[in-house]
Amino acid sequence: MKKKLLAGLLALGMVASLAACSNTETTTSTNPSTAPSTESTAPSTGADMSSLDVGVFYYQYSDVYITSVRNQMDAKLDELGVKYTDYDGQNTQPTQLDQINTAITNGCNLLIVNIVETSSPDAAQQAADAAKNAGIPIIFFNREVSDDVVNSYENCAFVGTDAAEAGHMQGEMIADYLIENYDAVDLNGDGKISYVLFKGQEGNAEAEYRTQFSVEDANKILAENGHGTAEDPALTFYAPDNTSGYLVDTTGAWSAQAATDYMNTILAEYTEANGNMVEMVIANNDGMAEGAISALQGAGYNQEGGDKIIPVFGVDAIDSAKEKIDKGIMTGTVMQDAEGMADTLIALLTNVGNGEELMANTDSFNVDDSVAKIRVPYGLYQGE
Amino acid sequence: MSKESKELAAKAQGWDAKRVGNLILNNALLIIMIIAVIAIAISNPRFVTPNSLINIVSQTAAYLPVALGVAGCIVLTGTDLSAGRIVGLTACVGASLLQAVDGANKMWPNIGVLPIPVVLLIVVALGALIGAFNGFFVGKFKLHPFIVTLATQLIIYTALLVYVKMGNNGGMAISGLDKSYSNFVVGNPPLLTFGDIRIPNYVIIAVVLTALMWFIWNKTTFGKNMFALGANEEAARVSGVNVLKTTIMVFALAGAMYSFTGFIEGARVASNTANTGFNYELDGIAACVIGGVSFVGGIGKISGIVIGVLMLRLIFVGLNMMQINQDLFYLIKGAIILFACTLDMRKYLVKK
Repeated sequence: MKKKLLAGLLALGMVASLAACSNTETTTSTNPSTAPSTESTAPSTGADMSSLDVGVFYYQYSDVYITSVRNQMDAKLDELGVKYTDYDGQNTQPTQLDQINTAITNGCNLLIVNIVETSSPDAAQQAADAAKNAGIPIIFFNREVSDDVVNSYENCAFVGTDAAEAGHMQGEMIADYLIENYDAVDLNGDGKISYVLFKGQEGNAEAEYRTQFSVEDANKILAENGHGTAEDPALTFYAPDNTSGYLVDTTGAWSAQAATDYMNTILAEYTEANGNMVEMVIANNDGMAEGAISALQGAGYNQEGGDKIIPVFGVDAIDSAKEKIDKGIMTGTVMQDAEGMADTLIALLTNVGNGEELMANTDSFNVDDSVAKIRVPYGLYQGE
Repeated sequence: MSKESKELAAKAQGWDAKRVGNLILNNALLIIMIIAVIAIAISNPRFVTPNSLINIVSQTAAYLPVALGVAGCIVLTGTDLSAGRIVGLTACVGASLLQAVDGANKMWPNIGVLPIPVVLLIVVALGALIGAFNGFFVGKFKLHPFIVTLATQLIIYTALLVYVKMGNNGGMAISGLDKSYSNFVVGNPPLLTFGDIRIPNYVIIAVVLTALMWFIWNKTTFGKNMFALGANEEAARVSGVNVLKTTIMVFALAGAMYSFTGFIEGARVASNTANTGFNYELDGIAACVIGGVSFVGGIGKISGIVIGVLMLRLIFVGLNMMQINQDLFYLIKGAIILFACTLDMRKYLVKK
């Protein structure tokens, strides 16, 4: 009796876990027949999308921006009636490569890959080689892969942003804001803006560029407008002893919690009363910006409708950050266009479905010169 | 020799090198902590300003409930790897029920803002339920808690990923919290506000929880049963301790404690995603081990756990204030864990 009960319980558990798997890992479109024939992104109607079996490999399900891309992709693929499967790479490159190889053996005929490892091209090359050996197209997206990888296989493309662009745009946005509000931001009136910069991860190209260019560009533009010089820039890191010029989430998770803990520690030491208050916050992503704002609010700053506002800048334009900007408790963010990213991917997917070349009909997109890389433009968000 | 002089002689004899050595070794962690504080304070005097001390106390308070919870599991010679994900789930659930009504991205627009006690009850019940689930498998089927919680933390992660995509949220960060929630957690009680020096409410929550746990561990039958069970399961069973019930209750209590950290983090960090709470269990377990809660089982003190958590936060804050490379954080943490465990085991080796 006891054994039977145990067996029953185990079976129940297995069924439950299977059900859970099919809910999260495998989102297969169940109703291809309802696909609309007038899909706006499809260049020709009546395309045969039923032959496609797409594997979409996301680097990490818990990433907020990537989740918004996933939502867009799932909706658009459902609409097209394409058979597809989503995978969670769990921020672990070996896991993702296993998933890719398994999907290929399982009959997948188009790979859309958000590669995990960006600091060396080896992993992306392995994925591209696997696709090449199987003779199926592969599209990388969001996390940049090197030109050599894309050029190594004619049916390989990359859709993403220009990693440096977000940093440049953040820098310009900061400079523009400061030129307007310099004296108000400069709380201690020393002519310098003391800032802190939160970096999401070491060795990630986007984090490196954002960290470097946001400050460099802002200083350059500020110098042209009479604030500071090239040798003696207007923006100074709040702790001169820290020569790296940033605080990084050592777990590499770009997490809000890391920013909160850092910011609380900073605010315990650097205050207006001491004349050394941090006068501006730059964050690699909106999550870290939000974490910093939470700590600032604990110290009495950045309240809704309050007059003590420390400007905070992020990247991504996630919904909650946009809401904060509208309320005036955050200053600005660089918008990663999740829908634009998904639309571009779908355009390439439609090419594959129609039997055209992977990079056909891409005149309207911003394509790199010598390599099949499409750049989805960033936008700025500074409130409605 | 008179009686008094004999005693004096015995006392004098007692203070030999060995006794002093033992005294130092038994309190080595406290001594190291005091030396570290002095060293950091010399390098950066602002480390010991009231604001800085309150920052250290606040961070300790935020991470403390996880350690208090997982400590019970360690006393039972077990562990709990699901703590971090329970923190994440309860933070997201709690925050989603307490978003401001005017927020454009309110996850559940139809429910308004629930009263805080109701939400607190919901998340604590949720945490306790998951904990009881862990405890049931541990107690009933004699599975090692490492295995059980390794499995459940995966299951909870799916729940978390699914939950953040529900309602209006679509996987975004759960933010835009109602003022009442923020004030309840990070607000400053007027009684504890001294000019510029403000102690946030969650420090009080942590103090209350610590007192509660101290009471449960030391003054209740359940607490006594827990230690008996951890020290020797067979002996405890023979003397009439209900092993299954006690195990379930220990894990449920742990789950409830994680929920408190989840509830605090929900408002303290104020940007809740599926990543929230990730790896919190490791810091919690490390704090317990540093504080002398032994994996041998049946041994541990609440005061030790508080010191353990405080120690980890001292390292974090201290290294930041000394502008030391963050990479070294892990080296120092690892060294302290190893050192603390070695000291701990040394005591029992001597006894044997």
